[in-house]
Amino acid sequence: MSELVTIKNLSVKLQQNTILSAINLTLAPGDILGLVGPSGCGKTTLLNTLAGFIAQNNGSITFATANNNLTITPKNMLAPEHRNVGMIFQDYALFPHLTVAKNICFGIEKESKKEQKSQLLQLMKLLKLDGLAQRYPHQLSGGQQQRVAIARALAPKPNLLLLDEPFSNIDARLRNELMLEIRQLLKQLDISAIFVTHNKDEVFTFADKIAVMADGKILQTGTPSDVCQQPINWQVADFLQLGTFIPIHKSLNSKYFDSAIGKIEDKQLITVNKNQQLLLKPQHLELSSNITANTVVETISITEQGYHYLLSSLTTNTKLSFTGLSFYSESLLTLGQQVAITIKPKAMVTLNKLAS
Amino acid sequence: MLYAGINASGDLFSHLWQTVLPSYISNTLLLGFMVVLLSLFFGVSCASLIVYTNVAANNILRWLLILPLAMPAYLVAYLYTDLFDYAGPVQRALRQWFNWQSPSDYYFFDIRTLLGAAIIIALVLFPYVYMLTRTAFEQQDQNLLRAGRSLGLSKQQSFLKIALPLARPAISVAASLVLMETLADFATVQYFAVNTLTTAIYDTWLGYGELASANALASILMLFILFAVVTEQQANAKKSHQSNSPNSEHTVIQLSLTQQIIASSFCWLLAFAGFILPFGLLIMMALDYSNTEQLFELLPTGMNSIKIALYAATLCTLIALILSLYQRLSDDNWRDIPQKISGFGYAIPGTVLAMAMLATFGPIDHSINYLAALWQFKEPGLVLSGSIFAVIFAFVVRFAAIANGTINSGLGQIPKSLEHASASLGAGLGKTLTQIHLPLLKPSILAAWLLVFVEAMKELPAVLLLRPFNFETLSTQVYQLISDEMLEQGALGAILIVLLGLLPIIWLNKKQETL
Repeated sequence: MSELVTIKNLSVKLQQNTILSAINLTLAPGDILGLVGPSGCGKTTLLNTLAGFIAQNNGSITFATANNNLTITPKNMLAPEHRNVGMIFQDYALFPHLTVAKNICFGIEKESKKEQKSQLLQLMKLLKLDGLAQRYPHQLSGGQQQRVAIARALAPKPNLLLLDEPFSNIDARLRNELMLEIRQLLKQLDISAIFVTHNKDEVFTFADKIAVMADGKILQTGTPSDVCQQPINWQVADFLQLGTFIPIHKSLNSKYFDSAIGKIEDKQLITVNKNQQLLLKPQHLELSSNITANTVVETISITEQGYHYLLSSLTTNTKLSFTGLSFYSESLLTLGQQVAITIKPKAMVTLNKLAS
Repeated sequence: MLYAGINASGDLFSHLWQTVLPSYISNTLLLGFMVVLLSLFFGVSCASLIVYTNVAANNILRWLLILPLAMPAYLVAYLYTDLFDYAGPVQRALRQWFNWQSPSDYYFFDIRTLLGAAIIIALVLFPYVYMLTRTAFEQQDQNLLRAGRSLGLSKQQSFLKIALPLARPAISVAASLVLMETLADFATVQYFAVNTLTTAIYDTWLGYGELASANALASILMLFILFAVVTEQQANAKKSHQSNSPNSEHTVIQLSLTQQIIASSFCWLLAFAGFILPFGLLIMMALDYSNTEQLFELLPTGMNSIKIALYAATLCTLIALILSLYQRLSDDNWRDIPQKISGFGYAIPGTVLAMAMLATFGPIDHSINYLAALWQFKEPGLVLSGSIFAVIFAFVVRFAAIANGTINSGLGQIPKSLEHASASLGAGLGKTLTQIHLPLLKPSILAAWLLVFVEAMKELPAVLLLRPFNFETLSTQVYQLISDEMLEQGALGAILIVLLGLLPIIWLNKKQETL
C-alpha cells in the first residue's frame, strides 16, 4: 500500500451521539490535507481519534511505517504515546513550567544528551528560535509560541503531524506569510500533515488536498481546485461559498433548460438530473442590454471587487423563481431597479439541492 | 451511627422527646434562621456597598470585612459577655454616668440569649455571604447592566433589577454555608447555655453516658444538615450563568454625604464588632496577664495541635491528590463518585462526626480486643476509638473536601491539551504525572495542605468528644479556660488560633483578587 494513512469506515460515538460515521480517507506520504467544515461537524474529533485521545467505535486506522503497517481497530487500540503521531494544539499546549529547550526536548528525552542538543539546535535554527532556549512560554509572542509547538512536535520525527486550527490565534496580517513558511518547512522535511480549519482560504494556501466534512461525514475529497470546480453536492458548494443556486427545468425532448433568467443550452451543463438546481458563480453572470429585464435589485453593498448585489427574479411564486442571486458589477445600480442578467457561455454544473 | 441511633434505648429517648427535645429542635431551627437572616443582611449590604457604590475607604474595607471569619464564635461570645455583662466595663460605666444603683433601674440588652448567640455567630459568619456575593457582583458581565441603563433604568434600578437577581445563586450558596456552620456550632451555644442539638448530643453522651441516644440526636441533626447541603448543591448548579469574562469598569453609584456617613459607619461597625474589637480585647488581655511561664505552658498543647494538624493535612492532601487525579485521568463512568462522597464530609458537624466515629470504631475496638484475648495476646485497649487515630480520622473525613476543592480547582487550570501533548510526544502516564501534573499542581498542593492544617488547628467539637484522656490541643485548652471563665490565662493561645485562621483568609482573598 502506498498510502501513509488509510482510514476505513471509521465511526465515533460520544455519549450516545454519533460524532463521526463511516469515514473513509487516505493520505499519501508527504501530502498536506486540509479538513474543512462548519463548526461541530466532527473535524477536531477526527484529529483526536487519529491521535488516540478518543477511541473509535468502529472501523480501522492504518499507519504505514518503514517496516510494517500499524492497524488500529476498536479491539486493537494503541495508546497515543505509541502512535508516533505529532500534534499541534489550537492553544499550543506548551508546558508552562518548562523552558523552550525543555519543551522541545520533552519527546526525545530517551536519546543521549548529545543527540538531544544537536536536534534542539537544528530545530531552533530551522524555526528561527535562536536565543530563546531559556525563555518560558509566557515570555514569548504568539508566533514564537507556535514555532516552539511545531519544533516540539517535530522533534520525535512523527510519521504524521496533526494541526488543530493552527492559524486561528495568529494576527491576520502575519497569517499568510506564516502558512507559506510552515508549508515550505513540512515539504522540506517531507512530513505528512492533516490540519483542521473552518477557513477555506487557508486550505488553498496550505493544503495539497481538501476534505469537506458535514455532520460527521466526509462529503468530498480532492485537490482544492477540483472540489471548487465540481462540488459533488450543494452542501459542499454552500460551505465553500461557490455561488448561488437557482432552479431550472427541462421539458421532454427539449434542447434547453428553462430558468427565470432565460433558456440555457444543454451543452453548457456537465451533468443532468431531474429536479435540478443550477449553481451560478458570480463570475458566470453579466449584465445584458439585448434582452428585457428579468431580475430586480434587492440589496447593494460595496466590496473590493466592486458593487455586490443580491438579485431576485422578476417572476415570483413560480417553480423557477429565486431570490438572493449573488452578482458583482462595476456599474452602479439602484435599489429596486430592474436589470437584465445573462449567463456567460461557460461550463457550469447542475446540482441536486437536498434541502434548504 | 444511624443504626445505633435507631436502636437507641427507648426510655431515655422518649424521655428526651417529652421534655427537652422539642425545645432543642426549635432552638436549633430558630438559631439557624436568625443567623442566616442576619448574615444575609450584613453580607449582601456590605458587598453591594463595596462593589456598587463609592463608599469611603473602599479598598481597606474590602478585605477588612473578611477578617471576622478568622474569629472563632465562642471566643467572641466570651469576650463580649465579659464586656457587656452586669459586671463588665460597659454597664459599669453606664451606671457611673447615670448613677444607677441596681439592674432594676435600667434595661440592658442581655447577650446570653438565643438572639445574642445569633448575633455573635452572624458577626463571624457573614463574611461568607459578603465574600461570595462580592465575587458574584464583580464577575457580572457589566454589559448586562449597561444594557439595563440603555433601556432606561437608573443606576439604582439596574442594580436592584439586574445585578442583585443575578447574584442570587451565589447568595443562596453562601446562605446554606452559613446554615451548615451554624448547625455545627457547639461552643458558642454551650457557653450561652442555649440548648441546641449539638449541645444535646454532647450532654447525652458525656453527661448521661447514653451513646445510643446521642446517636439518635446526631441523626436528627444530620437531617437538617442534609437540607442545607441539598440547597447548596442546587444553588451551585445554577451558578453557571455568572460570566467568566468580566469586562471593564463597574458603574458606581455616587452616595450623598448622609448616605456616605451611614454606609461607612455600617461597614466599619461590622468590621469593628466582628474582628477589630474582639482581637484588640484579646491582645490587651494577653498584654495584661501573660508571662513567660504561660508561654512555656503553651508549648506542649501547641505541639499536640501541630502534631494532629500535620497528620490530618498530609493525609487529606494525599487523598485529595489521588482522588482528583483519578477523576481526571480515568475513563470510568463512576469516577466522580468518590470525590462527591468525600466532599460531603465537610457538611457534617464535628459533634455528629464524632458520634459516628464512636459508633463505628467502638465495636471494632471491642472485636479487636476480643480477638486479642482469644489468641492470648495482651489486650490492646481502645486502639482506634480511644487514641488520636479517631481524632485524625475525623479530621480527614471533615476536611478532605477542602483539600479536594483546592487541588481540583488547581487541576482544572491545567488544560487537557497538556496531557494530550505529552502523550503525543510519546510520554506514558507515569512521565505525564511526574513531569506535567505534579510540578504544575505544586502551589495548589501547598495551599490545600495549609488550609487543612489551619482548619485542623481550629477544630473544636470533634476533638472535645474524641480526644484521648488528658490530651489537650490549643482549641480545647482555650475552650476549657473559657468554660472556666479564665480566658486571661489562655489569651496567647487564642491569639495564635486567630492568627492561624487569618492565613487561609488572606490566601483566599489573594486568590479572588487575581481571578
